[in-house]
Amino acid sequence: MKFSIKHSLSFFYLLILILNFLTSCDRNRIVEKEARQEESAVNPDEEYIMVTTAVNFPMYVNHDQAAFKRWGKRRGIKTSILGPSDWDVAAQIAVIEQIISTKPAGLLINGTDPGIAQVINKAVDAGIPTVVYDSDIPGGKHHAFLGTDWYEIGKLQGEAMAKLLNGKGKVAYLGILGMTNMEQGFKGLQDAFAKYPGIQIIGRYDDKANVEEAAHITSDLLGTHPDLAGICGFDAMSGPGIGLAIREANKAGKVKVTAVDWEPEHLQLVKDGIIQHLVGQKRELFTWYGAQFLFDMRHTVNSLSIDDIQAGVVAVPRKVDTGLIEINQSNVAQFLK
Amino acid sequence: MREEKNKREGRKIKIGIEGISKAFPGVKALSDVNLDIYEGEVHALCGENGAGKSTLMKILTGNYLPDQGRILLNDKPVVIRNQAHAQELGISIVYQERSLSGNLTVAENIFTNQQPHNKWGFINKKKLWEQTRLLLQTLDLAIEPNVKVADLSSGLQQMIEIAKALSRNPGILILDEPTASITESETMVLFKVIRELQKKGTSVFYISHRMEEIFQIADRISVLKDGCYQGTFTKQDTSIDEIIRLMVRRELKQARFLSQAKDEVVFEARELTGKGFSDVSFQVFRGEILAFAGLVGAGRTEVARAIFGADPAFFGSISMNGKDLKIGNPSQAIRAGIGYLPEERKEQGLFMNMSIESNIIAGTLDAAAVRSWIHNSKISKIAQIYTNKLGIKSSTVKQKVNELSGGNQQKVVLAKWLLLNPSLLIVDEPTHGVDVGAKMEIYHILHELAKAGTTIILISSELPEILTLSDRILVMRNGRIATELNKRETTEQEILAYASGIYQNTKTEKLLTN
Amino acid sequence: MKRLLRDREVSLSLSIVAICIVASVTWPNIFPTFDNISQLLLNLSIDSIVAVGMMILLISGSFDLSVGSVVAFCGGLTAYLLYYQGMFPLPAILIGLAAAGLVGLLNGYLVAKAGINPMIQTLAMMGIIRGAALMISGSGIQNLPPDFNVFGQSKFLAIQSPVWIMFVVVLIFHLLVSRNIMFRKYYYIGGNEKAAVLSGINVKKLKIIAFVLTSLLAGLAGILLASRLGAALGTSGRGMELRVITAVILGGASLSGGEGKVVGALLGTVFIGVVSNIMIIARVSGYWQDIVLGIILIAAVGMDIAFNRPAGISLKTYLRNLTIS
Repeated sequence: MKFSIKHSLSFFYLLILILNFLTSCDRNRIVEKEARQEESAVNPDEEYIMVTTAVNFPMYVNHDQAAFKRWGKRRGIKTSILGPSDWDVAAQIAVIEQIISTKPAGLLINGTDPGIAQVINKAVDAGIPTVVYDSDIPGGKHHAFLGTDWYEIGKLQGEAMAKLLNGKGKVAYLGILGMTNMEQGFKGLQDAFAKYPGIQIIGRYDDKANVEEAAHITSDLLGTHPDLAGICGFDAMSGPGIGLAIREANKAGKVKVTAVDWEPEHLQLVKDGIIQHLVGQKRELFTWYGAQFLFDMRHTVNSLSIDDIQAGVVAVPRKVDTGLIEINQSNVAQFLK
Repeated sequence: MREEKNKREGRKIKIGIEGISKAFPGVKALSDVNLDIYEGEVHALCGENGAGKSTLMKILTGNYLPDQGRILLNDKPVVIRNQAHAQELGISIVYQERSLSGNLTVAENIFTNQQPHNKWGFINKKKLWEQTRLLLQTLDLAIEPNVKVADLSSGLQQMIEIAKALSRNPGILILDEPTASITESETMVLFKVIRELQKKGTSVFYISHRMEEIFQIADRISVLKDGCYQGTFTKQDTSIDEIIRLMVRRELKQARFLSQAKDEVVFEARELTGKGFSDVSFQVFRGEILAFAGLVGAGRTEVARAIFGADPAFFGSISMNGKDLKIGNPSQAIRAGIGYLPEERKEQGLFMNMSIESNIIAGTLDAAAVRSWIHNSKISKIAQIYTNKLGIKSSTVKQKVNELSGGNQQKVVLAKWLLLNPSLLIVDEPTHGVDVGAKMEIYHILHELAKAGTTIILISSELPEILTLSDRILVMRNGRIATELNKRETTEQEILAYASGIYQNTKTEKLLTN
Repeated sequence: MKRLLRDREVSLSLSIVAICIVASVTWPNIFPTFDNISQLLLNLSIDSIVAVGMMILLISGSFDLSVGSVVAFCGGLTAYLLYYQGMFPLPAILIGLAAAGLVGLLNGYLVAKAGINPMIQTLAMMGIIRGAALMISGSGIQNLPPDFNVFGQSKFLAIQSPVWIMFVVVLIFHLLVSRNIMFRKYYYIGGNEKAAVLSGINVKKLKIIAFVLTSLLAGLAGILLASRLGAALGTSGRGMELRVITAVILGGASLSGGEGKVVGALLGTVFIGVVSNIMIIARVSGYWQDIVLGIILIAAVGMDIAFNRPAGISLKTYLRNLTIS
């Protein structure tokens, strides 16, 4: 009998130890107080939280999260990053809901899906400064949005592709089907091609943001459409996947490729002449300025009235377009480290 | 002193068990057991279920360590650490439960851990098959090494199991109930093999319930009762009755029961044909016990399963009390008043991880329910009545059946069927793996059932059982009814002769003699 | 005491209470607040409803990997009918549920009658239904009508409706599974399917019913989720199948069948819900959560082996014999 009690207790003890360990190492990583400067009014409990989905997705980690952490370190302010490890919007919503009751100083939310509008409003109603980045959320009452126009991404890709093809040829589209921002991008692509009647879109394919899937689809397309002239990739994994298949089929330069994002593997593919044109976002700016907006709201840095809250004024920009980066053979060297 | 004794008897002791004790919480499984197994002898171990036979066996194969005492192998003390170690020491065992992988071939099963291979680890199939063929030849088995084990009859699977144990050339071979699932003719082959092994100097430790077999094959017989050693006897100096008396400490009489058959046909099958049997026609009367005899694979179980709706019949018809029946699944059969106690108790009869009461009530949940709502207390009450009635030995009805002995488990399955109260009950090998005492109790239960008007079809591979219980005997061979025999006029030899095809026919012959 | 701890329901409840006490002491102003607890319950309510169906399936010795897809499909279909077809909420919900039931019927029929392995059948169905969900709802459907959102957003005693619906579903099915004749038979099917057939239990029919029920409950969860969020997400229910199976096994089910209680399904999701809530409060990143849950699952099943061994045998010998036999 004694044995079993001891056993179960040690189990809990272990659990608590694990939890303590996890929290403490996360804190040590994130809270770096030595860099505090200027705003001396920072409250030690002041904490800004970023909530995303697919929290360990490399592009998010290298751009969004890195810039957010760098901001926190520079300002000497506590920052935390939370969210499910899979692409699971419902779970992201659940995390936001649970954070709201812990009353953070500000929420920086990755606009992953229009379905998160309600929870954004819940945060705003709870009086938490709330900023959305990447994709705007229609119907959300968030205080500010920073991001890029996906329609523009599609349009820039379409124009680059049309130029590469001299206005005629068969083109395929790869991306995550059903994602709002990519649907907008597709629309931009279509509108760009509308000026070139010689360009024909042969189909849209779902690569599920998966390199193997994208490579697989591409090699199938190359096999079934020998006259395929170009491929446009719209999610972060489309470019590397298409590049892999093109390289294996020895079609570099023969089939033109445009894609989004500028991760190291994308850049290398441009350098190798496999991808001709990249359209990238300035993701670092989303989160750096997003965090700064939150801070400015919390500290009423720019007061536009006697009492902005009473007056219903939000003293940060409503919508920021951080603009796009276009990368091709001519400037790729500047991005390769 | 030991050496003196050895010299006196002029035999070398292969394995010596000295003062072995083993206790489990609440049970003294073995206390101070001493016995010697000579080189090249067949040594039988007898005892009721729970007497400690399997514990002793598991100590010899390294599954348990003894609490006290020691084991001498070739006069040297050894500590057997685990089964692999036991095999290294030359102790091989064939368990009652199968240890074969049905999807692998005979050869792969026999040489599981010692397949011949080249230096890159690729298996040399030719060599493997050659080795297997040689080994199977010594066992007088005409089986191709590349046949899948699942395609073999259970009797042949048992022989493969033995071949597997022999593949390691053991000095001592332990056989645990080797004949429990094989037919008499296969038993003869097995005995031949045992004799061959004996000539080569292998010691065989033979554990069985079947007295007749033990007296055929064993040189010496040791008896255990409640974990205590009762003595070792040379075959010539003892008798079946004496051994049984030592095992159970009560006299058992092989009673022959009086027939309870009435004149009313309860069930009839006409030209029933299905997978593994064809053209099977017979009638059974109220209160009759009709036995189906035959070798394993003769099609008896297949007929039973077809009648019960567990497997489809291709052709033919059945009727109950004069009315034709269409049965597509067992639940229809049960509604029509037919019950089937399956051959493999653990695989098909019992819910091993569930309690006694849950098992007993499995077919009649509505008996314990009011408007579809189950009353658990009612289940316990019903189960209690039946455990008392059938003498199921357990601490409570909530005990899990996997903690019960084979005999008590079988009684639990029987209780389930008694509760369903079928007018025709088919029992398939009802005393398989059951100890002598429980066996007699099961016979009495079946006899009482017949007395109360239940018709029973008994499928059994034990001829004494058939002769004890049944009123009439149908012998099946190769999927057909070979003959019908009357219990009072027949003998084990006659049944066996028909079953194995030594006597060819049947009714014509009988008609002529009549 | 030991006997009690053997019961997964008891040991799991005690674990939940213990963890909650520790969390309340560590974060007195955050964890034990009404806001946080009601939020926690709301978040686990969807999983719990699905877990009830999964528990019944696991008792019968099967499982269903397509539940997550059914959640997305059913929510998407209902949202489509509401938003694009302008249907009233009730008929849209009923059609959504009927579609979910049909998926379950197909799963059950192919598993029980055609003999397809449940893992393969429901894995295939998971892909098919996920595709269908994306086809219907595309990038998701937002701005669902308020009279539909009422279903998942209204409050009673300051607690949101999905929590109440979860409690009702758990209560009804707990009673059914523990007391009803038909549901009791699932224990027999999971315990030994062959013996169940030979005991006259109509195994095929009951298996089909279990799959239909599981799908219906997943459908209900999908509709509730859409209503609660006011939007149908194309990605909802992703990875839910494994999370729910984890919860159900934590709650006392076994993959080999014949074990478990519906209350255990609820306790399993509560346990996971509490742990993830604490991880959010402690600001632990998402991937740690998967690691911790994995460790907990192994620990729980390991404890089971330790506690359920026969009395008085040391763990070492027991494990030794376990591996031998």
